[in-house]
Amino acid sequence: MKENIKRVVVLTIIVLASSLSIYVYNNTVEDALKEQEMAELTEHINMIFPDAERFIQKDDIYYVYSDDEIIGYAFEAIGKGYGGDITILVGINNDEDLTIKKVSVLSHSETPGLGARITEDEFVSQFDNKPIDAIKLEGIDAITGATISSKAVVNAVYSEYKNKIQSIRSE
Amino acid sequence: MPFNDFSKGLIKINPIFVLALGLCPALAVSISIENAFGMGIAVIFVLTLSNLIISLLRNVIPKDVRIPSFIVIIATFVTIVNLTFKAYLPSLSESLGIYIPLIVVNCIILGRAEAFASKNPPLRSVLDGLGEGTGFLLAILLISFFRELLGTGGINFAILGYEFGSFIIPLFSDMPALFFIMPPGAFLIIGLLLGLFKRMDVI
Repeated sequence: MKENIKRVVVLTIIVLASSLSIYVYNNTVEDALKEQEMAELTEHINMIFPDAERFIQKDDIYYVYSDDEIIGYAFEAIGKGYGGDITILVGINNDEDLTIKKVSVLSHSETPGLGARITEDEFVSQFDNKPIDAIKLEGIDAITGATISSKAVVNAVYSEYKNKIQSIRSE
Repeated sequence: MPFNDFSKGLIKINPIFVLALGLCPALAVSISIENAFGMGIAVIFVLTLSNLIISLLRNVIPKDVRIPSFIVIIATFVTIVNLTFKAYLPSLSESLGIYIPLIVVNCIILGRAEAFASKNPPLRSVLDGLGEGTGFLLAILLISFFRELLGTGGINFAILGYEFGSFIIPLFSDMPALFFIMPPGAFLIIGLLLGLFKRMDVI
């Protein structure tokens, strides 16, 4: 009996100590992590909008400026892929129909060589300058052997676009 | 002989070429010198510190919960390495990807915890961790040297984000043996090195 209790107590203490040290360490590097995320986001926004000079964030939507004029909008869409969440940055043109400018995969954990090919230009360039209704799966060729990943990207872009479009239009 | 605790890991019981432990990362990330170095440093850090903690707690941890305890301790250090790489070395973190979290299940680390740190005092365990870690680093660097040289036709000496110059083999670099940076190339290089070392009676 005494042995049993000792087992539980020791293991619990080890797990608690471990969680506490990770918590403390995570807090100390949090700023650096945020900075890296920001740098990565800026890089992706600049890739989607080569003319972008700066962008501001309001309610999960990034307003991209050039010469004090809004040239486009961007937001993140999250899809359920085969290996976990896929985060996609969607860039929108500031034109009448609010067509898609470009999409770019921020992070994913799909299978290398199959689902991971959603990051390749051949797949993502299919979204370039398309109106939203053209991107349901009929409009986008899925990657061979990676239907789930391809669908996840298309559905995430589509549904997040529908979510965000009201607040973008009302600007 | 405390120095022996360190030096035995370099050649006599080198993790990769003698114990054949920790082969998964050695095969997977030995594509370039830069990746190999990052992985080697991460393994030295985790192995040394987990050996230290496990050795300090060796009389406290009950025998039948030792494996879960070791795994939690190892996982803590791996998480710290992962966060550090993500925060300060993002490009290395991206190219090593899943193989950093996977250090948790790297058998060389659990192997040394079980075989050495749980039976020996802290100082000797730290030396053992440093030695085995350095042995791992040297082995993975050697493998990656040949893979990068043959697979890309040149070497780019870069360590933790700093570049120390590079060279290419003229003509060969236009048409390198791509095979060597693919997974089968790793098996071939490790096999050939192992055979060579046996032949030369190094190990």
